Amino acid sequence: MSFEIINPSTTKELLSTVKKFQKKNFRFGAGCTDLLLELKKNPEEDLTIINLAQVKDVQLTGIKKNSTGLRIGARVTAHDIVVNEEIKKSYPVLHEAALNLASTQIRQVATVGGNICTGSPSGDIACALVALDADCEILGTTGKTRTIPITDFFTGVRKTVLKKNEVLYGIYIHAKKKNTKNIYSHFIKIGTRRSMECSVVSLAYHIQTDERKKIIHAGIAIGASAPTIRLTESACSFLTGKNLFKISEADKREFAEKILSYASPISDLRASAWYRKEVLFNISQSIFENLSADEK
Amino acid sequence: MEKDLKVIGKPIPKHDAYIRVTGKAIYGHDIVLPGMLFGAILRTEYPSAEFTIDVSETKKLPGVVYVITADDVDTNNISFKRDHPILKKGEVNCLRDEIAAVAAETKEIAQQALKLIRVKYKVRKGIYGSYEALKETAPRINKFISGKYPNKNIAETFHYEHGNLEEEKKKSDVILKRRFTLPRVTHCCLATSNITAHYNKTDKTLLLYSSTQVPFLYQRDIAHALKMNPSDIRIIQPVIGGGFGSKLDMYPFEPICALLSMKTGRPVQIIYSREEEFIASPTRQPMIIDLTAGVDKKGNFTFREINIVKDNGAYTSWGATTPFVIMQAFSSLYKVRACKFDAAAVYTNNVFAGSFRGYGNPQATFALERMIDLLADELRMDKAEIRLLNANEKGEITGQGLYYETCGHKECLETVIAKSKYKKNKTNSSGSRYKKGIGFASMLHVGGGAKIYRSDGCGTTLKIDPYGYCTIITGSSEIGQGSETVLAMIASEELGIDLKKIKIINTDTDVKPWDVGVHASRTSFVAGNSLLGAIKILKEKLNKKAAELLKTIDSDFEYSDNKIISLKSNDSIALDKIVREMHFSEPNELAIASYFYEPSSKFQDKEYKGNVSGTYAFASQAIEVEVDTYTGNVKVLDVYVAQDVGKVLNPLLLDGQIHGGILQGMGYALTEELITKDGKILNPNFHNYKMPTASDIPDIHFFPVETNDKQGPYGAKGVGEAPLIPTAAAIANAVCNALGIEVVELPLTPEKVLKAIIEKSLVEK
Repeated sequence: MSFEIINPSTTKELLSTVKKFQKKNFRFGAGCTDLLLELKKNPEEDLTIINLAQVKDVQLTGIKKNSTGLRIGARVTAHDIVVNEEIKKSYPVLHEAALNLASTQIRQVATVGGNICTGSPSGDIACALVALDADCEILGTTGKTRTIPITDFFTGVRKTVLKKNEVLYGIYIHAKKKNTKNIYSHFIKIGTRRSMECSVVSLAYHIQTDERKKIIHAGIAIGASAPTIRLTESACSFLTGKNLFKISEADKREFAEKILSYASPISDLRASAWYRKEVLFNISQSIFENLSADEK
Repeated sequence: MEKDLKVIGKPIPKHDAYIRVTGKAIYGHDIVLPGMLFGAILRTEYPSAEFTIDVSETKKLPGVVYVITADDVDTNNISFKRDHPILKKGEVNCLRDEIAAVAAETKEIAQQALKLIRVKYKVRKGIYGSYEALKETAPRINKFISGKYPNKNIAETFHYEHGNLEEEKKKSDVILKRRFTLPRVTHCCLATSNITAHYNKTDKTLLLYSSTQVPFLYQRDIAHALKMNPSDIRIIQPVIGGGFGSKLDMYPFEPICALLSMKTGRPVQIIYSREEEFIASPTRQPMIIDLTAGVDKKGNFTFREINIVKDNGAYTSWGATTPFVIMQAFSSLYKVRACKFDAAAVYTNNVFAGSFRGYGNPQATFALERMIDLLADELRMDKAEIRLLNANEKGEITGQGLYYETCGHKECLETVIAKSKYKKNKTNSSGSRYKKGIGFASMLHVGGGAKIYRSDGCGTTLKIDPYGYCTIITGSSEIGQGSETVLAMIASEELGIDLKKIKIINTDTDVKPWDVGVHASRTSFVAGNSLLGAIKILKEKLNKKAAELLKTIDSDFEYSDNKIISLKSNDSIALDKIVREMHFSEPNELAIASYFYEPSSKFQDKEYKGNVSGTYAFASQAIEVEVDTYTGNVKVLDVYVAQDVGKVLNPLLLDGQIHGGILQGMGYALTEELITKDGKILNPNFHNYKMPTASDIPDIHFFPVETNDKQGPYGAKGVGEAPLIPTAAAIANAVCNALGIEVVELPLTPEKVLKAIIEKSLVEK
């Protein structure tokens, strides 16, 4: 494995570097926790890494709350997510996804942008963001940005809509309701060990109810179950309007079946397709257990 | 009267802890010699094939200094059975097979050079199952064995028996038969395999920096491989980053590195990548154990009949002799009136197995302890009770002739039963997602070495310098187990010298006296006794001089505070002064002593009977687990460990052995497996080879049992392997207890557990 590395220090420099390298073989890197492993496995000839880690731009590195939601820069690390109180309070699913990522050491450098752009079906932070129906803000060489929903971002295993000259700039989570009460939001990660683990199956959910426990919004995403992380729309709409605390056994099964309809898992070294489906079905129904633990 | 111990039994941090945690330790990977070249090995792409090789393009690459294939070297076969050519010629038989090696100016050039080697393979189907290899129609896999067995693919067999099996079968009220299957796991040493060789063309001597755990046997093996005189080979052991039995054999990469140095006249270094480590370092023996066992209606064990087929892989390592230990577990763990044991190591085209902490015992204990639970279930007897009833006792001479001069088995069992607050016939909470269970298992292991080589001894040379510092030159090796610390503590205890003033020399075969090596949990026991022997001799010399200087005829002295004190007069004299007087006044002698300790153990006879170890260690574990019935994940909650350690020499180091062993046992039980398909390893990385991490550590509650064996130093027994041995068995028993399922195979991956849960629920419907 060998490559050149370029360290732009401003966004302007970054854009001009991207322009300059248009016809060459380059990759973006930030935490590089995925990239280095990939390059070790499949070395690329004449490769340049455009390193985002030195770019001084609060749009890339900051977490900012406004009246309609929360913007997270693409270079925010998993550790930054874990320690952010606003995320912990309002978007527990994202907090938990980041907390369960790899190990303490990796979380210090692994970035939100990296977790999304690597396009892995088992990306944990990405899965939580799909459940939260986040938007992706993409920066082009002209300095202009375009915004697309994260559900449209992934096009296949390790494939995304990003063009060669585009950088993921940040993501935006829309607050569904102003208050942060009545939130049932968790990340369920299934693997064989408790850390340094890549999800065998994951389920991210962010459910909000009114005071009477009627579900007013449900975002449910599955990871490591299909070529891309998927938002299980029919399962989400199935829940909306129902009382979260009074879901019948038959409805729980129907809900789980709906989630399963989005799954087309593969068998690999970590688990068989059979196992992934079986577990997904079981954990989908577990959402309705221990709800009182979230009552504060 | 037992004397008060000042150092022994105290939680003294490891002697080498500081250099290890600060990164100052010099591992094999850190060695740089002037003019050193970098070696790399080309291994086969296919586990079974005929091949031709062309290295002409490689030789042209700038920076490549030498390329060797089988045609360029004159060597002997290596390995325990001498059935393993260092470089393979014309055919390959497993994925590790070395077919060429290069020495180059840089690591990068060496790797590039490998890619230029042209190999044409004629791929064969290969044989990857032991039973398939035993078929009449199977081709001979290893062409280098003498063929002493009727079946061409059997590398080694073992047969043992005691008691009247048929009679005991008649006396049995319950007889059960099961087949247990054990996986291929590997050591995962954090430091990958490494070697630096420096051949001196002028005097034709070879210097090897090697992380072997058996330097003297290794020296002889290298000499045999390279057709050299062993004394022309000097082995220096840099700091070793993990052994666990993996460095008990010499492997081809080591003589290959030496050959590259001999050809080039320059130092050469070979360091494995992590992937290479997974593919080309040894594994624990995968085994299929057929066990039939009986019990009478009172719960007494009547007989055990065992038939084991071990996947040897393509060549034979020391690991093929694991039945030697396995049969001890079956013949002598718990009282059993009759035992018949057969084991065969079978050649396949899989990667070859080696030695691994526990040496076959974790496999045996898994089968045996699972079977005990099944027998108890059948008898409707409590699982703790049946174990207590049959537990080994002090003074027992087992059917195999092992003599338990001390035995903490019953106390270990009683301790874990009490500490785990185990209640008989407790039913599990049903209907909930998480189910809890508890499982028991015990183990028996050699605790005072094992006489399998001509000597099981260890030599020590001890000296005190004129400044009162002590140097222990020991034959034993430090592989992370803490032997340096324990030896320094013994010297400090006996000679009253500060620990800071004690140095250990233990890394150089040209300097240190002979020792058989680090294995069989023997080092504290054997090297400790050896050191005590040397201390005794040295003290006689020191006492004589002290008496002379203190003008007393008395010889009753205490060694304390770097002084020798007369117990009668209370007069004292500094140790350094005595040594100076010894050196510099007539009759001018050195404060030095040497001693060779040979344990009292005996060779076993041809029927494998005899008291093979100086003493025996026992342990019991009670493990509580919680199983997630939605996912099949097993969480180990609490581990209660009671171990007959003879005597605690250092509680801190002992705790380290217990924690490490249990984690390794947990990996064996739940997550670890080298997954192979047609001889290829599919998960040669930590991403998919699931070693437990720090966050998987359960609550470990350790209760040492001190039986004070008079054979051991201060009463101590070997402790290194024991903590790992019963863990997988106890976890499997706990999972079965939690779910009411039957487990006969490891590892208990979530998928296997979930499958068993679903199958059980289908049967119940």
